[in-house]
Amino acid sequence: MPEKKSKMLKATQGLKNAMGRHYLAIEQAYRDGKPTAWATSGCPVELLYAMDVQPMLPENSATISAAQKYSKNFIELAEQEGFSYDMCSYFKTNVGAVIENVDVYKGGIRKPTFMLSSDVICDTHSHWFQVQAERFGGVPHYIIDVPHVVSNVNKRQLGYFKKYVEEQMWELLEFIETHTGNKIDMEKAKEVASNSYELSEVWRDIYELRKNVPSPISTKDTFGGLFPLFTMPGLRSPINLYKRMYREAKGRVDAGQGALENEEFRLMFEGIPFWYQLKYFAMLERFNAIIVYEPYTFAFSKFFSNPFEEISKERLLKDPIECMSSLMLSFWYIFDLETRVKWFKQTVKDWKIDGVILHNNVSCRPNTTTFYDLKRRLGEEANIPCLIIDSDQNDPRKFNEVQVTNQIESFVELLRRRKKT
Amino acid sequence: MLKIAYFDPDVVTPEEIFMAAGFTPMRLLGDPTIEHDKVNEHVPPTHCVWAKNILEQALRGLDPEIEGVLASHGCDCSNREFDIWIEAVKLDFLFFLNVPLKRDKIALKFFLDDLKELIIQLEDKFNVKIETEKIQNAIKLTNQIRKLLKEISEYRNKMIIKGSEFHELVKMCQIIDKNDALSQLKIKLKELKDKTPFTDKKLKRILLTGSVIDDTEFFKFLEDKGFQIVIDDLCIGSRYFWNTIEEEKDPIEAIAEYHLSKPLYSTKMPSYDRFEFLKFLAEKYEVDGIINIAMKFCEPMLYDHPYMNKKFKDLEIPYLFIEMLYNREQYKQLSTRFEAFAEMI
Repeated sequence: MPEKKSKMLKATQGLKNAMGRHYLAIEQAYRDGKPTAWATSGCPVELLYAMDVQPMLPENSATISAAQKYSKNFIELAEQEGFSYDMCSYFKTNVGAVIENVDVYKGGIRKPTFMLSSDVICDTHSHWFQVQAERFGGVPHYIIDVPHVVSNVNKRQLGYFKKYVEEQMWELLEFIETHTGNKIDMEKAKEVASNSYELSEVWRDIYELRKNVPSPISTKDTFGGLFPLFTMPGLRSPINLYKRMYREAKGRVDAGQGALENEEFRLMFEGIPFWYQLKYFAMLERFNAIIVYEPYTFAFSKFFSNPFEEISKERLLKDPIECMSSLMLSFWYIFDLETRVKWFKQTVKDWKIDGVILHNNVSCRPNTTTFYDLKRRLGEEANIPCLIIDSDQNDPRKFNEVQVTNQIESFVELLRRRKKT
Repeated sequence: MLKIAYFDPDVVTPEEIFMAAGFTPMRLLGDPTIEHDKVNEHVPPTHCVWAKNILEQALRGLDPEIEGVLASHGCDCSNREFDIWIEAVKLDFLFFLNVPLKRDKIALKFFLDDLKELIIQLEDKFNVKIETEKIQNAIKLTNQIRKLLKEISEYRNKMIIKGSEFHELVKMCQIIDKNDALSQLKIKLKELKDKTPFTDKKLKRILLTGSVIDDTEFFKFLEDKGFQIVIDDLCIGSRYFWNTIEEEKDPIEAIAEYHLSKPLYSTKMPSYDRFEFLKFLAEKYEVDGIINIAMKFCEPMLYDHPYMNKKFKDLEIPYLFIEMLYNREQYKQLSTRFEAFAEMI
């Protein structure tokens, strides 16, 4: 079958510059003696910007290692230290990159002033930073302990869950002040919160455009495109980048153009992609299939993916700490099963999706634990076909290309038959 | 008597609250002899083998006297699998206890809120009143059990009771009526006082730590290899009785403080706190070596191992780390490693 290529937005090319500026800002922070912090995804990175601390996201660095084909070596170095084959590959990539002391373009990351982790997505995040804080000889580490929201949680519980997170947020401000000398400036915090909201809003708008048939953008724009949301929420520059992406995508919609010629099958992809083999996703295009929604990349648009309460911009600016605490309670990527089923069904309907691919990523158990029930319920309740593929986000040793390709071919064939009937 | 069972990857279930509500609290134990037929339809293969085993049994059908189940947060696996319990295990009462990862005042306040929520839900569901006095009485009873277990535990150290027999005793205390458990412990203690130490002087003195280990056959297997478990750091072991609950203060507060001040468990962090307690035990009981068992895919355990390995090497205490599937064939397959360790120490 001939190779087909979806069109990446020209604006997405600007992503390299945006991320380049992020890494330059990190280097500059070290040169200027400005405080730096490691943070895990799900943490309120905005607070760091608001307190003039330069954030660094080791998960982001790990994806760079994978994309540059270094992650396998780093993972094996971590395993030589005694870390198990079965552990999170982001973690092991980070361990190896720190051991090797490589530069940022290989996924390296330097010793920070302090570390900020949270268990909202996984306990792994906090264990990971604890291990690395030790390695660096005892870096101060603050953990935001987030209660786990399960399917039968009630409103009363959500109330004291939020209170717990909020009390920690105030404590975190004191922690940052203690370790950096920087105090919170609420006016700056509001400005950062406002920027973060706007960034999320434009990302949401980009996602809205993907509802169009044909979809104006593919994962070539979104997998990498999510990084500013993740690393720079609160800054102005990524907003401009996203606005350019939006305008270009809107132009395609207005012209009736899709990212893929002859779009035939619209798919949803759940999970973290295999960063070491992103080109693999282009394989779908041979079948005239395009991914039009990824909960993982939309999850970082947190103001618009909160299942419990609506956070308006006005409310956010009035009480940013309270709102950030509320947002920390959940995350589209690890919703409880009930919420997940509900959101999947609605998303499939709104984005006119033909089938769902669930990536059983062996590195991320919180994301994958309920996949089998999710698949069954989507099939039974909404007649949505799902395919589960097994692989890993950062460890190429766990990616069986032939097996996954065979599965996808069969899945597309199934979708084709469904379209005919 | 009707029971509330608990699926607890740690040992943080407030049994006294269930007792005050008129239930017998009962730990759910794995069964390493069964196949994972039903659970494989719900949970992918690369998830904690022990947690899957418990869910397998629940999917097959629990003891009919069990009216409800509490699951506590131990790890990412137990957390998200709880949604599958709600989905597929037909029970009227299911409660997820959010045990905080931290142990400071803010965490304590939150844990208190969660315990109070548990009481509200139990009272609503079963139309009972959980009175303060009843909780206080339950605390007195469980404290007596803890003290007796701690006293009996010392007979492991004196080489008078085998580690496996002691493991059965702790397990018994976690599954039967507490008054019955207390009576049996009293009888056992009396019996032990008249016994003399084992004659086999070659037994290696071991500190056993790791994930939940509920199969007593594993202890027997280790004994066959020439080890005596003189002390442990397990949920079905010393973590169940090491401390007692304060009897003079508000009972809910006392329960919360008790659980957040116990020696740190393997699913929690930081590693150095856990290490300090293990070091204390290793030195106090003059062990010949430490065996650390991680159930396959027990992720929190895996973060600790390199740190423990290094620290015990520095202290020149022999240390063996094993990742193990939850079935008895594994014991045989791992024989050589245990035998080599016994030889080495």
